[in-house]
Amino acid sequence: MPTKTKRTATTASEGSSSNYSLPTSVSGFTVLPITYSASTTHVLYARAHSVPKHRDAKGKQKEKTISLPEGRTLFLVNIPPDATERELTMLFKSCGTVERVVFSTGRGGASQSEEILENDEESEESEAEGAAGSQDEGDEEDADSRPKKKRKVAQPEGPQVVPLPSPSLRTLRRTGHTAYVVFLDASSLERALKPPQKPYPWPVDKETPLGLAHYAALYSSLRPPLDIVRAHADSWMEAFEFEQAKKRQESKYHKGEAIVDEDGFTLVTRGGAYGKTLGGGIGVASKRFQEEQAGTASKRRRKDKKEKKEKEAFYAFQIHEKKRKGTFFASTML
Amino acid sequence: MVNDLKRKRGTDVAPQTKRLHQQQHDAGDEAEAYSSAAESDASMGSASDHEANGDDWHGLDGDQDTKQDQTNDHTGHSGSHIVKPPTGEELRKIKDATDLYRSTFFKLQIDALLPNVRPKYNHAQPLEAFLLALHKLLMNMPSVSPQHPLHASRTLSQKGVAVPYVRPLPTEDTNWKVSFEKPSEIVLAGSWATKTAVKAKDGAKYEVDVAVEMPPALFQEKDYMNARVFQKRAYYLAVVASAIAENAGLPCELFYESTSGDPRRTTLVLRSKCDGSPTDFSKLNAQIRIVPYIGQSPIPLQRLSPARSNIKTAAQEDESREDPTPLYNTTFMLMTTPKSHLLSIHHLKQSVPAFVDALALLRVWANQRGYGVGSRMCVRGFEGKGMWWASILDLVVNGEEPPPVSLGKGGTKRKPLGKGLSSYQLFKAALDFLARHNFHEEGVFVKAKDGHRFPPGSYSSHEAVFVDSTSSVNLLADVPISSLDLLRYDAQATLEALDHSSISEDPFQTVFLKEHRDMFARFDIVVRVDLSSAEMRKASAHSVADHGSVYNALMTTLVSTLRRGLGNRAKAIAVLHPTSDIRPLSQAQPANPSVVHIGIILDSEHAFRLVDHGPPAEETESERTKQFREFWGEKAELRRFKDGSIVESVVWEVKNSDERAHIPSMIVRHLLKRHFSIGGDAVQTWQSQYDGLLRVPQSISSTYQTTGAAVGFKAALTAFDTLVKHIKALDDAFPLAVLNVSPACPALRYTDVFVPVAVPVPARSALPKSASYLPAMEIIIEFEKSARWPDDLRAIQKIKLAFFERLATVLMGAVKGLHASVVLGERPERLEIQDEAALDIVTQEGWAFRARIWHDREATLLDRIINDQPHLPKALRRTASGEDARERQAALQAHEVYTRRFIHAPRHHRAIAALCHRFAAFAGTVRITKRWFASHWLLRGHVSEEAVELLCAYVFLRTSAPALGETAASQATSAPSSKERGFAQVVEFLKDWDWTTGLSVPLDNADQASAAAPALRQRLLATLHGLCPNAVVARRITALAKATWECLKGMETGASSVKRIFHHPVDHYDFVVELKTALSPRYYQQLDADPSVWTSKNKYANAVDKDSSPSIMPGFDPVSMLYDDLKFVYTDTVLLFYDPLGGNRIGAVWQPALRTPRPFRVLGGFSSTPVPKIEAKAKEKEKGLVIVNERAIFAEIQRIGSTLTERVVPRSA
Repeated sequence: MPTKTKRTATTASEGSSSNYSLPTSVSGFTVLPITYSASTTHVLYARAHSVPKHRDAKGKQKEKTISLPEGRTLFLVNIPPDATERELTMLFKSCGTVERVVFSTGRGGASQSEEILENDEESEESEAEGAAGSQDEGDEEDADSRPKKKRKVAQPEGPQVVPLPSPSLRTLRRTGHTAYVVFLDASSLERALKPPQKPYPWPVDKETPLGLAHYAALYSSLRPPLDIVRAHADSWMEAFEFEQAKKRQESKYHKGEAIVDEDGFTLVTRGGAYGKTLGGGIGVASKRFQEEQAGTASKRRRKDKKEKKEKEAFYAFQIHEKKRKGTFFASTML
Repeated sequence: MVNDLKRKRGTDVAPQTKRLHQQQHDAGDEAEAYSSAAESDASMGSASDHEANGDDWHGLDGDQDTKQDQTNDHTGHSGSHIVKPPTGEELRKIKDATDLYRSTFFKLQIDALLPNVRPKYNHAQPLEAFLLALHKLLMNMPSVSPQHPLHASRTLSQKGVAVPYVRPLPTEDTNWKVSFEKPSEIVLAGSWATKTAVKAKDGAKYEVDVAVEMPPALFQEKDYMNARVFQKRAYYLAVVASAIAENAGLPCELFYESTSGDPRRTTLVLRSKCDGSPTDFSKLNAQIRIVPYIGQSPIPLQRLSPARSNIKTAAQEDESREDPTPLYNTTFMLMTTPKSHLLSIHHLKQSVPAFVDALALLRVWANQRGYGVGSRMCVRGFEGKGMWWASILDLVVNGEEPPPVSLGKGGTKRKPLGKGLSSYQLFKAALDFLARHNFHEEGVFVKAKDGHRFPPGSYSSHEAVFVDSTSSVNLLADVPISSLDLLRYDAQATLEALDHSSISEDPFQTVFLKEHRDMFARFDIVVRVDLSSAEMRKASAHSVADHGSVYNALMTTLVSTLRRGLGNRAKAIAVLHPTSDIRPLSQAQPANPSVVHIGIILDSEHAFRLVDHGPPAEETESERTKQFREFWGEKAELRRFKDGSIVESVVWEVKNSDERAHIPSMIVRHLLKRHFSIGGDAVQTWQSQYDGLLRVPQSISSTYQTTGAAVGFKAALTAFDTLVKHIKALDDAFPLAVLNVSPACPALRYTDVFVPVAVPVPARSALPKSASYLPAMEIIIEFEKSARWPDDLRAIQKIKLAFFERLATVLMGAVKGLHASVVLGERPERLEIQDEAALDIVTQEGWAFRARIWHDREATLLDRIINDQPHLPKALRRTASGEDARERQAALQAHEVYTRRFIHAPRHHRAIAALCHRFAAFAGTVRITKRWFASHWLLRGHVSEEAVELLCAYVFLRTSAPALGETAASQATSAPSSKERGFAQVVEFLKDWDWTTGLSVPLDNADQASAAAPALRQRLLATLHGLCPNAVVARRITALAKATWECLKGMETGASSVKRIFHHPVDHYDFVVELKTALSPRYYQQLDADPSVWTSKNKYANAVDKDSSPSIMPGFDPVSMLYDDLKFVYTDTVLLFYDPLGGNRIGAVWQPALRTPRPFRVLGGFSSTPVPKIEAKAKEKEKGLVIVNERAIFAEIQRIGSTLTERVVPRSA
């Protein structure tokens, strides 16, 4: 955690941008006011990115931190929903050169799962940061706005997939989400964290339009020429089949895969509790297991029968007896 | 219930008892609600206090309890009754409650209701004092010697009392005299005396009838002629009035009132002054009515048989013809009956224990439906019919009087019921009689002691015959037969509600507690008629004389004319107006309402027939032909029909299906014009206003016409069928055969708000930009099953793409002019495992379809991801985390889409399409209701179209019989036959619906394979979530429905219009995003779209439109896209509303919690700004407080909308 709390008190009055003064920091985050227009101010919360200590143990986490180098990565909260990488780069141009921008939340599922993970109140920030970090895989796609499938088959040996056209459209994200800005050097980070003398104006990228033009472009981009669709689908399937075949070759066991000989017979093997054999062929549960199952089942059935046997108010004398006791009446009435 | 009762008695199970009490209170509250409408606070006063006090009031079985307590007291075991087992008496009661009533709960509800609709007899002390004083006063009145009627009236008018003489008014040369003698007897008659009074609607007071017998000395034998007896009665009443007015000992207000507006039935009404004197009975909410009657008199009553003529008009004397005067005679006879009726009711009360309760139930039922008195719309003809309701029960219990032996037909058809029936059984038997009996065909003669007074044949000039047990008077003489039709219809509907336990609502509510007087939910067509200029085409002096007033004669002719004209098109026609009101003593003649409403319930089978046939041409000069021509006027014409016959006929010309629905009201207008010279502007209907809601503006529809666009649901369906044929013809081009193509879209099931339109592609440029929207109709293609599909979700989606590409190429090659393009999805980013791809097809005629491929393997694969360990119990499953959790989320989402798109939508489509065929008015109802939801910014964003369709289906199906066998006949009686009524019923339902309870629509009644039934129910539950996404929206719907209902009520009085219902107030939104109207391709669909938006060309005439090349974009709706984006971006910040049908504003409400400062969180989920330190100082120092940054959000919305947004308008504080 950087120590910004001390500075807060001293520079409280400096960050005045609108009619009332903003504090320079909130809960350890530097407040970066950004002007949308002369009268409206948006607020970014910035902090140097740090890797939570307790997460270091996990290998996966360690792997991730490589992409977000500590010391020159700025963690931003509450970036505008329509922000693009370019706009953020331009915003911090005065502080230094931005190597890249990583958005932590995209649309749909990613942000939801993040909410699932993020439930611990105390380690909230670090958790969130960690959770955000764990999503880098998805984030990078966001950043370069390329569909996932391409990466999957990016291995050189498989057939190449013809990509669908992906125009440079803005991606809208949920309001109040986070992003990482990776600078080229550490000094830029410090400059960025210093409360600015004057609030930065928000740079609007004119090249990726919004509104009607955006929707029209989106509409037409979703209806690509038929030959591209065809090429894409065909090549994708080819790659898919290649992958499948490769996987099949690589794996030692052909679990669940029917082995059919020349005569058309399917190999059936016994083994495991639920017929989960490690070898090829169709699995059937082992005999002992089946017997055991059958045994317990029949035992249970016998038990059921026994319990059922005692019938109440079946014979006339039982009814009479009950009536005499007075319980019969109650039981029918209740 | 039984069990509760028993425990309550048995031991100390307190919670059970408490619950019982709770239920009692519930029922009591409802009853209270019923009464509160009618009761002013002051008059309820102590009475309601008494009830509100839970300890004091014993609720439903209060009577029972107290009785039991009493018996216990008698036997001396009062202290030990807690441990005693139930006595035989109690057990019998418990058993009775289950056997004799619909259910025990129903009985408890009835028991709670009854005390609330009866007068509080224990407050009757002042009334009795008053009556005593009144009696004394009347008995001591001095006689007035015989004098000339005009002279007599002059003396009285000096005292401010007009004599309510009837027509023909006495003139100077009348040769009879009026006089006064003190009454020979005064009897407390009517419902008060028999303690059968039931509270009426609209705060009408209980009636305390004081029957005053006019001494025989006043009359002469010939007084029955020419209304002389009524003149004498009028004078008698006036003298009594002036005497009471002069007497200071009786502080009261005096009025005249004429029952049914008939001056011959004028009575004197005494209302207490609220002065707190010992005779002040205002707390009782009652009024005293002085009714003069004739006991012994020299007038021979046999002269008053309904077939006799007792009025000699000038015209008649000339022709020496005797037209009977049935109404006159009946009115006369009514003057002789108060005492005998009193006796017969008393007798009934004695012999039938449940009579009083049953009568109360029957009258509550009738009052709730407007068969009674009230200041709102009441059905004509049911004033002062207390005796009739009692006589129905009399008939049910005692049976019919057999026709005289001389007629040859012995025995009666109706068997009398037992006297020991419960009140509910009697009530139901009475309803059963009302529902089955056809008054038009046969009369009813209640079992009389002395046989028939007048031969049954003599009643032939009455429309409906119901002769009371004294056999002296036809109680239905002045009731229009069409009102009885309505009564029959209502009785049928009620019986249906009672008999079909399948309905989810409590029938008690609908039967007794709910008011059914609201015209728009009750009648298919409502016509408002201004009678001030009405004039009868053939006014007959005789008919006027018989009816007693011109107005009544006019009304009778009007009703019978309409009934004849509409024929079997209508199930019932009712004339509705407020019942007669009191008038000051100085006003002799009653005033009549000049505006009446005519409510028509249509028979959808016949209502929209184009031709009415008359007599054939052969009998050109016959009486029938003449009558037909006379009746229809210039509309009647000879026509030759396809079968070769030449018949007199009336043809109603219509241009489109909308107008076809207007035929009944066209007939009404025509007849009113022809027979009563009531012009077009004096007749008001609301249908065309409703039609206007579903139509595109004039300028646009004319463009459609000039471009030769195909319009209509039928055309859309034909286009769909053609497309299916084309697709199926391409079988060889595919590896898999197309198994099925099913529609799943409102436009293909008649329920789209706007009629689908296809503008041929080349002609599209003629349409302005703000009307260029081309909806894409969803269809689903199902290929035959094959094992060759890949077993991987991602690959399946890719295969779909390949299929679409193939289909597009082949279709475009095979069909000329067809254009197809593959749609990758709706969002910029691809969801890999979810079904996204579609195929847009635009046919040559201009229809747009969006095809999807259904592959059922997807469901299994998704299920596997969602739950990969189905064999393990839930507790043992490992919880997914990280990548798995995310994949599971995505799979859940994909599964939801899959089920909605491929399982539910086609099934729903089929069910709704079937309903549209079954109920003619259903499609229209759905369309109006959708329009309503849309114009209140709820449709699509918060309420799905399917949910609206189901809601409407519920209204149509709620009382239909669950019988599956008879399909055509199982239509519910109460199902609406016009879209206006359907809409009103939906609103009525929404206003009262407790949305937390859910709803079950028995869609399986439709001609569906029964296998689909359970799934449909399930579907309903699914969409209910769609209907009530959160409490805010649900509450909003309720509030809007309530406001709409008020508006509908206002329409009765002409205070509001249909359009007002669809106007959405925006004051309660925190901010409103205004959009540029010209840029929305759906703008023309807006309710009050401004044509200048598209007619005014660009500012510069020579400026070429930038994108003038009309690219066809089926389903392109930027406003909805913007709305969806904003909704996604600000999910947790604001709640957004908009009108998908061409709306140009988006309303938003802040999440309330965000507007108070809260601690800063990284994933707060909203755009925040720190709260200034000064405010936050007092709070904790650790976490800075933040608050939602409203202005920044406005700026962001403005930026996201960019060219689309005009501005963001925050609510002015």
